[in-house]
Amino acid sequence: MKARVPADDSPLGTFEEQVMLAVLRKGNEAYATSVRRELEKVTARSIAIGSVYVTLDRLEAKGLIASTREQRDDSISRRLFVVTAEGARSLAATRAMRDRLWEGVELRRLLKNA
Amino acid sequence: MTGMPSFAAWCLRRLLPYAERDEVIADLDAEYRARRRTRGWLSAAAWLGYQVAGSLPSLVTRTAWRGWTGFEPEANRWQPGGPMFETWLMDLRYSARRLTRRRTYALMAILTLALGAGGTAAIYSIVRAVLLEPLPIRDEAAVGVFWSPFDWTEEEFLFLRPQLTGFETVAAYRPQDVTLETPGEPLRLIRGIASSAELFDALGTTPLFGRGFQPGDDVVGGERAAILSYGLWQDLGSDRGIVGRQLALGGTPHTVVGVMPRGFWFPTPETRVWVTTPLSFERRSGQYALVGRTSGPAADQMDAQMRGIGQTLGGRFQYPPQWDKTRSPALTGVREYLLGDLRPGLLAVLVAMGVILAIACVNVAALMLGQLGGRSTELALRTALGAARQRLVQQLVSESLLIGAAAGLVGAAIAAGGFTMLLRLLPLGALGERATLDWSLFWAAMAFALAAAMMIAVVPSMAMWRTNLQGTLATTRTGGVGARGGRLEGALVAGQIALAVLLVAGAGLLIRSVANLRAIDAGVDPRGVVVADMTLPTHLSNDQRRAAIAAAIPVLEQLPGVRAVGATIKLPLRGSGQNWGIRIPGRPEVSSTTTAFRTVTHEYLDALRIPVRRGRGFVASDHENSERVVVINEALAAKYFPDEDPIGRRIDTGFDGGERIIGVVGNAAEAQLTDGAVPARYMLYEHVPPVWHEVTFVVAAERAEDLPRLLDLTRTVLQQNTRNLALQRMMTLDSVFDLAVGAPQRVATLLSVLAGLALVLGAVGVYGVISHFVSRRTRDYGICMALGLAPRRVVSEVVARGLVLGVIGSALGLIAVVFGANRFSTLLHEVQPADTQALLGAVLILLTIAVTASFIPAWRASRTDPSTVLRQQ
Repeated sequence: MKARVPADDSPLGTFEEQVMLAVLRKGNEAYATSVRRELEKVTARSIAIGSVYVTLDRLEAKGLIASTREQRDDSISRRLFVVTAEGARSLAATRAMRDRLWEGVELRRLLKNA
Repeated sequence: MTGMPSFAAWCLRRLLPYAERDEVIADLDAEYRARRRTRGWLSAAAWLGYQVAGSLPSLVTRTAWRGWTGFEPEANRWQPGGPMFETWLMDLRYSARRLTRRRTYALMAILTLALGAGGTAAIYSIVRAVLLEPLPIRDEAAVGVFWSPFDWTEEEFLFLRPQLTGFETVAAYRPQDVTLETPGEPLRLIRGIASSAELFDALGTTPLFGRGFQPGDDVVGGERAAILSYGLWQDLGSDRGIVGRQLALGGTPHTVVGVMPRGFWFPTPETRVWVTTPLSFERRSGQYALVGRTSGPAADQMDAQMRGIGQTLGGRFQYPPQWDKTRSPALTGVREYLLGDLRPGLLAVLVAMGVILAIACVNVAALMLGQLGGRSTELALRTALGAARQRLVQQLVSESLLIGAAAGLVGAAIAAGGFTMLLRLLPLGALGERATLDWSLFWAAMAFALAAAMMIAVVPSMAMWRTNLQGTLATTRTGGVGARGGRLEGALVAGQIALAVLLVAGAGLLIRSVANLRAIDAGVDPRGVVVADMTLPTHLSNDQRRAAIAAAIPVLEQLPGVRAVGATIKLPLRGSGQNWGIRIPGRPEVSSTTTAFRTVTHEYLDALRIPVRRGRGFVASDHENSERVVVINEALAAKYFPDEDPIGRRIDTGFDGGERIIGVVGNAAEAQLTDGAVPARYMLYEHVPPVWHEVTFVVAAERAEDLPRLLDLTRTVLQQNTRNLALQRMMTLDSVFDLAVGAPQRVATLLSVLAGLALVLGAVGVYGVISHFVSRRTRDYGICMALGLAPRRVVSEVVARGLVLGVIGSALGLIAVVFGANRFSTLLHEVQPADTQALLGAVLILLTIAVTASFIPAWRASRTDPSTVLRQQ
């Protein structure tokens, strides 16, 4: 399953972005269940394994992450994920786009009233 | 500590990709255990439930589009070019090749299914429109028709009208066919009803637009109102502005007040106009029927009220004992009254269609079974090579689907064509406006027949070759039939013969019944007589009408090849009607009774060859100014002059002074054919003051071969030479006969078509099964003959088997006929349900088919050279 370069620099979806960030945070311990746990811990909401799994799959198909199979001592074979350079570029672009959007946005007054 | 519930594990296992499912499930399981330990069972279960349920949508979507392995998308199986599609395509192609090679089998199966389903759908659609649709009458259970229909006078109705207890409203009506004159178009005769003002209140129907009749429409001197049927309104141009306009009906201007909705009919579907008629106490004649809407109870629960009405009548009118109207008062439900006589005939046709469908099922099953038997080697071999059962079934299903699709196309054409044909052939009138072809029934019948055939044929054979693969392959190698005795095939043949016997014998009974009807002596010679129905304009006086009739006679007599020309107000076999009161001087007991009364011209009796038994017929010296004379028939003589010579006695019809009887003639069927001889009397137009506005001319040809030419000549002459006579229709006396025998004959025609169909289908099935049975044993016979068995023995063995099956089937069919025929005995005229001729005929025909179907393949088998057969393997 060779990485497919996305035709455009379309920004990542929110959940895709979250999953990629969780993969980065887990370092070389990033597999489906640990990514789900990390997301649950940080976002403080329940996340179904299926949606994580499908998102990881899709990101890999887009070439934004890559996976390797690793045989551990405890005999459970795991599929470990790492973010590719392409993925890093995409994350950075998404963040830059968001930052541009945030420029000049003033929320403090609205939050005070809330 | 237990792991996660097995259902959750099963769900995840089904949906997660093969490569990772163990890993993910193990992780989830570990977390489930941990949660259960720390937070309790309920919380862990809720978490797991969320994990599974929340994962389903995304995992299902992913599985569908990418597959378990990522290489084999599940969705592709259903996409064009996908594996599933590919196997179906492959099987369909294979089936198509097989079917084109076995053309007879394919054609038989397709035609059988198409005829069965298409025919059933067409007939059922007609039957539904006629029998099953609600009558166009509101709350029909409360509507009923009084006893002695068409025997009520205006005086009786007007007397009863204000004192009918238990009824909301009661209307009087009688058939009145009227002429319709529209500018620029020829005069035409339309079926109509003359009624009192209450008719549409009693029926509870309102017009599509305009109004119904109102009180006051039926008083003497009031304006005449007319309501048109939807069909007539369309014929007149579908103009809503017609309401309020005047229409010349029967020469009298009527105001159109309304138009009935599409599909409305009463009392017959052919009725096209309803008019009010002025009612008068003075009028003791007028043959009305009374239809009433009860004030609540169903029409068949009105016995007490009807008895009361009978007593009221008896208190006012004196009835002679033989015509006592107060004796059996009753109210007949309107549905039973209007449709009663149609029901058994149509039910018989419906049953016949069911039988046809059953034959079709059995037939296709037998054909499929034969095919499967021949393919057991192939199927067993494919199983042995690893074909899954699913794939084998798919192959058989695809073949049935191909047959079904082709039969669907052919059957749809048969259904549509048959339906249109039946609509045209049957006199449905307004009923036809509502009839639509029932496609859902067609597809249901098609699917049912196909599914039933597959159930019968495929299931047992599947069981056979799957349980005994080795045996199947072994017997195949030796080419023998093995242990299977063909019991199923035998049962199918017997069942098929039973169904065919049922249908053919039923049709036979009906055909015999119609033949009996025809055999009744009508008293007239119908051969070579032209019948021309004419109308006289209603504005002419009686004398002008009489002159118009008299003027037409010599013109017709001039035509070449004419034997005799006559005219009458009503022909025999056209039902009762024109019954006029009779009084015999010195015989007060026959004061208020009627007999059939026919005004005729001099040569009328001669033209119809009604024989003079005593005295004389009319002669030229009986003219306008001579003594008024009458000719009576034998039935009248026997009824009123039982022990004396009627010649010279007098009868009084009410024309001053009465008339003298000059002759007695043979009985002609002056009512329905089945009514037998009714008393009737004949008088000359010259001696009867009132002249009816309808007249029927009869032109008898010298030779029957001249009839078509004479028909054309008569038409030309009548259209050219007569100004005061409008030609309505022309026919031959033979077709008047046909009309009189009509209803049972139509049913018999339909049934004989169906019986013919059943015969063909049955023969095909029987032939197919028996010949297949024999051809599979050809090798056995070859061996037997090689060992010295006489070819004759082979033939006799096979034929005996066919005969045994035929006898069993016929016995079953005969039992069914005898039970079923009692149900339809009203259709049978002087034929017993167990009529030996019809039943024996059916059995003989089918036994002959069974024997022939056995003989031909057996004879072929006996002629085969044993060495050829043995070499074939």
